[in-house]
Amino acid sequence: MDFLHRSTNLSALALYGFIAIALSIHGIAYCEEEKHAETQSTQPVTDCFESRIGYSSVTRTENVVPEYGYPNVKCSQTTSGVLWWGDPFAGTIPMGGMPEITDETRGDFANAVVKPRTPLLTYYNIGPNGCETCHNGQIVPIPKNTKPRLIGMHQDIVENSMQLMHGHGALWCLNCHSAQNRNKLIDRQGNEFSFNQPQKLCGSCHGENYIDWRKGVHGKRIGSWKTGGKKRWWVCTECHNPHTVQKSRFNQLQPEPPPPLPRGMKNANYERAKEGQH
Amino acid sequence: MSEEKIGELKEANDVQQGRREFLKNVCVSSAAALVAAPASAGTVAEASNPDADVTVAEFFQGNFVLMSDEEKKQAIARLEKRYSAQYKKKTTVSDTAAPDDVLFGYALDISKCIGCRRCVHACVKENNQSRNNPEVQWIQVMKMPKGNIAFTAENLDKGYPEKSEFGDFGVQVGGNAYRTAGLSTEDAQNYYNDELVPDQDFFYMPVQCQQCEKPPCVKACPVRATFRDHAGVVLIDYNWCIGCRMCQLACPYHARRFNWAEPKLPAEEMNPKTHYFGNRPRMKGVMEKCTFCVQRTREGRDPACLEACPVGARKFGNLLDPESDVRRVLSTKRVFRFKEEYGTYPKFFYYIG
Ligand code: SF4
Repeated sequence: MDFLHRSTNLSALALYGFIAIALSIHGIAYCEEEKHAETQSTQPVTDCFESRIGYSSVTRTENVVPEYGYPNVKCSQTTSGVLWWGDPFAGTIPMGGMPEITDETRGDFANAVVKPRTPLLTYYNIGPNGCETCHNGQIVPIPKNTKPRLIGMHQDIVENSMQLMHGHGALWCLNCHSAQNRNKLIDRQGNEFSFNQPQKLCGSCHGENYIDWRKGVHGKRIGSWKTGGKKRWWVCTECHNPHTVQKSRFNQLQPEPPPPLPRGMKNANYERAKEGQH
Repeated sequence: MSEEKIGELKEANDVQQGRREFLKNVCVSSAAALVAAPASAGTVAEASNPDADVTVAEFFQGNFVLMSDEEKKQAIARLEKRYSAQYKKKTTVSDTAAPDDVLFGYALDISKCIGCRRCVHACVKENNQSRNNPEVQWIQVMKMPKGNIAFTAENLDKGYPEKSEFGDFGVQVGGNAYRTAGLSTEDAQNYYNDELVPDQDFFYMPVQCQQCEKPPCVKACPVRATFRDHAGVVLIDYNWCIGCRMCQLACPYHARRFNWAEPKLPAEEMNPKTHYFGNRPRMKGVMEKCTFCVQRTREGRDPACLEACPVGARKFGNLLDPESDVRRVLSTKRVFRFKEEYGTYPKFFYYIG
């Protein structure tokens, strides 16, 4: 079999060589290739989302890895989701300041990096003082009544603030957003956290998931597979929207196109037809 | 195996070798004539045909694993030259060895996977698969109805033995007779094209090469073009593959893909960082499959499918390191292997997170 295969290939090669000499067909072949390339290249998508549409996006930058001329990301033409990372650490900062818990739940944070969340927050960037540009106690007074209730505030970013289900009615805005310092998050012990470190706040209630996340079992991390290697971590709010927990833990997405059907097959309806039979 | 048999095999091998040597001599001389012809005629510019000379040499190269260092270097230089000319950009073909004291393993959370197929297309982008006609994908995402464990308790005592005029054959009908016990791929949909995923009545199960510890494909390959490296990854020497597709038949996971036609890879889409056993462009008539992104993982980076997954359902790491992500999954979650009953011992684990 080996013998056969190789000799067939050889005669093809010989033929190819002769034709090349006789007609110098190579030039033609390359032209065709270029034409093919032209029809293929559509405008690359430049603004792509990482995990949630509208919550963590990345701008495609060309030539971030100069050796190979890689961009930082390649995005899907159909859904504009990030499909491929050239440089997984582009635009990241050290995660920093993770508490050391020295039992089996300790995480490996020495080389942990994250993408800062604050540049992506609409009202955080409204003025020089961030959220306190308005929430400074004068323009918007600090509410005296701290009883959890539904209020229709900021419905452009919290579109269902009148059906807020996080905590099933036991929680409202100021359980997580610090009333005194609006540029910070706050937990029930009064510890304040940056918007870049939501995991510390979320973890104060969702301990089980927090432990899994610290261990690397829950959530997304990319970079090096080695223990102690440099990894980019995704923090809670890059995948989950804390304001829409009642919808689903992860919003629905448009999927990438299905694989090609085997030759001669017109559709894949048989897959559905057999559903529930037998 | 008896000694006689080994002797026989060796002999057969010698004959094979002899044939190959003979063929080699014949071909080299005719090839030399071929190459010499245009030089003397001086009509065809060398630059217009960058791959003619390397192709002949590539054609006769041996099994990469058995090559001397010098031969390996030459083989790689040949490939780099050919690819760089063909795709008009600097292409590197590495032969980085697998790290020692590492056994690569993968874990996938089927309770998180939303069936978005980003892993599939990330793999295509990374591994230089043919883009269309033929469109080759190494990962297949199965959409499976929930409650797929079809073997139901209430049907347990409903079966009865089939009777005919010739008597009772003891063949069960009714009850659970035609239902599978456990996870079944029978109702899986591979070509689903929903507007939005996940569909709440379904779960999703991506399948790719399971990197078995006892790989049936390696046993099936008649020329040892496919083998398991010492980090546990099953690889293919594309140049040594004879395209007999025995491994494709042997694989219970439908992980292997065959290049039925010349792969079509647009030059601007081509990933120029390649590995000899990994994502270097393939030719017509050879087998290919997931390599756990050998070009990345041997250098310490995560596979492309893991990096693309938006929900973090994929975990990769060293099975010998108790601190690695995969080991932590194995020690804390409910884990299963796909088609475990075949005894292939996959190093790809599915878990419920
Ligand atoms: S990218 Fe992740 S969520 Fe999407 S199909 Fe693949 S494994 Fe599932």
